[in-house]
Amino acid sequence: MSDTTELRDAVADVLRGRCSPAVLEDAERDGGAPTVWAALADGGFTTVSVPEPAGGSGGSVAQACAVLEAVGAAAAPVPVAETGLLAGRLLARAGLGLPDGPLSTAPSPGLVLDDGVLVGSVDRVPWGRSAASALVVDGGTVVLVEPGTGVVTPGRNLAGEPRDHVDLTGVRPAAVAPVDPIAVDELARRGALSRAALIAGAARAVLELTLRYTGDREQFGRPVARFPAVAAHLVQIAEQTELAAMAVGAAAAGAGDEGEPDPLAVAAAASVAADVAGAVATAAHQATGAMGMTREFGLGVLTRRLWSWRDEWGGGRSWAAELGHALAAGGADTFWPTISRGLVR
Amino acid sequence: MIFTPTPLSAAEDALRHEVRDWLDGTLPADFRPGLGLGGRHDPDFSRALATRGWVGMSIPRQYGGAGASTVQRFLVVEELLAAGAPIAAHWIAERQTAPALLRFGTEEQRRWFLPRIAAGECFFSLGMSEPDAGSDLAAVRTTATRVDGGWEVSGTKVWTTNAHLNHFFVVLCRTSASENRHGGLSQLVVDLSSPGVTVSPIPLIDGELHVNEVVLDRVHVPDDRVLGEIGQGWAQVTAELAHERSGPDRYLSVLGLLRNYLAEHGKDLDDAAATAFGRIAARLWSIRQLSLAVARSLDEGEAPATEAALVKDVGTIFEQQTVETVREIAACEIDPGGSMFQQLLAECVLNAPSWTLRGGTTEVLRGIAAKALTGGGAR
Ligand SMILES: Cc1cc2nc3c(=O)[nH]c(=O)nc-3n(C[C@H](O)[C@H](O)[C@H](O)COP(=O)(O)OP(=O)(O)OC[C@H]3O[C@@H](n4cnc5c(N)ncnc54)[C@H](O)[C@@H]3O)c2cc1C
Repeated sequence: MSDTTELRDAVADVLRGRCSPAVLEDAERDGGAPTVWAALADGGFTTVSVPEPAGGSGGSVAQACAVLEAVGAAAAPVPVAETGLLAGRLLARAGLGLPDGPLSTAPSPGLVLDDGVLVGSVDRVPWGRSAASALVVDGGTVVLVEPGTGVVTPGRNLAGEPRDHVDLTGVRPAAVAPVDPIAVDELARRGALSRAALIAGAARAVLELTLRYTGDREQFGRPVARFPAVAAHLVQIAEQTELAAMAVGAAAAGAGDEGEPDPLAVAAAASVAADVAGAVATAAHQATGAMGMTREFGLGVLTRRLWSWRDEWGGGRSWAAELGHALAAGGADTFWPTISRGLVR
Repeated sequence: MIFTPTPLSAAEDALRHEVRDWLDGTLPADFRPGLGLGGRHDPDFSRALATRGWVGMSIPRQYGGAGASTVQRFLVVEELLAAGAPIAAHWIAERQTAPALLRFGTEEQRRWFLPRIAAGECFFSLGMSEPDAGSDLAAVRTTATRVDGGWEVSGTKVWTTNAHLNHFFVVLCRTSASENRHGGLSQLVVDLSSPGVTVSPIPLIDGELHVNEVVLDRVHVPDDRVLGEIGQGWAQVTAELAHERSGPDRYLSVLGLLRNYLAEHGKDLDDAAATAFGRIAARLWSIRQLSLAVARSLDEGEAPATEAALVKDVGTIFEQQTVETVREIAACEIDPGGSMFQQLLAECVLNAPSWTLRGGTTEVLRGIAAKALTGGGAR
């Protein structure tokens, strides 16, 4: 496990000082943070878990999630999840090499390929305006489209990260390859897991920020952290953070060195992380008072992401439903064996 | 924090299946599961379990135990609690008293008590709480005075679970006046059948008789029944509580309820019910990984007291929320005499409030965890 911890720390080191409030404000306005991207790409951190032969850095799903925890903690406004764990692995799976630069992907249920030309549009593509997109059409074909192709209508999430509508009708993809239909479900799962990992990272940053602030801020002659009611918020943030990190860590570790994560473990992680996102944000804002609500303080860059990521790639609700239906279908006698199967080496 | 996802070795996984299979074959088909550590008191079951080597597992071999790791014990205990097995008779002796004896007991005490505990023949209760000493345990008033060859103890203990059925209890009492309120406290092993011990039941809200008032009137306790050092009771009790906190008993009280919900309602779950059930399962999935991580780190020689407090807090809150959610999605009037699920739901609703009290209240645990968080930084 320590290799993931070291990787997370290494990425945190790269990002330290690079995601300043000014950089984040610029990114919200401009839709990108080229210096942050360049630093991560130079270190090979943007394509972790994409096999080396396909042009990635190699590594496991667990390592990719470790990178994403650091990215989430720094609120780095760049498509690392999309480039590596999501689109990168999808392209590799279809036998396509990775192009240079940032990649994106999103669920694309309405998109079809007609005689080599795309018909339809894709909603809420992360950084769709500036990244090449790897998309699945007809459930069994992967297409790669160049950055900015088609008609882009800019959109964003609560944190101002680009979530663009891209109309691809009439676009001829730069590459096309068939893929095993299961790759579509796998992509959705990695999408959910990527959000859970980002959430776990951001939650830890919220914990640290909130501990620091409530330890410094004095009212009634002492640090507010010393009031039991405030302390209870801090403890709950810590608990929820550990819960999300554990859910992600367990699901990711289950994928082993090269495989995909267990579907039910991912569903559990996505459900837990979505709940954690809300609970952590609420408690942190309560504990930091009016200062936490300001643009300047920096809690908002994290909580606005928590509030966005928890709904992406299906959101906690749909993954909880998937898990609930699967457990019910398994029946009463397999309930505990399923929950407790965990990791076995 | 020491929480890392913990893989099991193949041997550990096999142990879990061995216990699971044995329980399948041993518990009757119409068995009504207990609520985790609220499982029934059944000395025969405890002895049968002991013959498999699954009581007092972490007691070293020289004292009659299995010399197993914390994780091995965790896996066995988890299966027992998940099945709602009747573990109450040996529960406290094996979870709490045995480790205390190992740490603080004399060689003679270990040789006498530990083999009997591991054989499922010697059962303990906990004599901590008093009418005026709950969360504020240092306020205990039960007093032991020095007499020839030992101590004479007088006072009143309350909430003493199963004192009417067990053989001994470890009594926290005052052995000297002290300026410092944590000083002057000691732990004595009191035989519950001694002259001067009066055990009276305190009926709980479901009408069940598990907990008692235990009045001690000049009870003689010989010197060889002093646990640890006179005057060190506070440090000893604190160490004991860390052991008590983070185990599977803090999230498995509701397992029988969840299983029986699926058995009775699982065939036709609508989306809303599946979602609610899935959220519960997702939490359970992760909480048990946290608890397992604590067990592994104990084996690695760490003393994760803060982590243990966090796990107990998350676990017990989870248990309470689960009861509310399951009640909501089952959408029925609760009939305590109804189906198995109905019976368990009734028992859960009536007992859930105690889950965040016993073993240290939520508020007190959060106080402990907050001190560690704000004192020592986030990690
Ligand atoms: C089913 C059951 C079985 C039990 N079995 C045993 C047993 O076998 N042996 C035994 O010794 N004890 C046993 N107990 C007792 C248990 O340990 C106590 O209930 C517990 O320690 C709390 O004490 P109290 O009930 O007196 O509550 P109190 O201490 O009176 O607390 C009342 C309220 O005040 C809050 N409070 C108190 N102090 C603080 C503080 N410093 N900061 C914030 N809030 C505070 C509490 O959290 C609680 O909400 C059992 C309890 C139950 C419910």
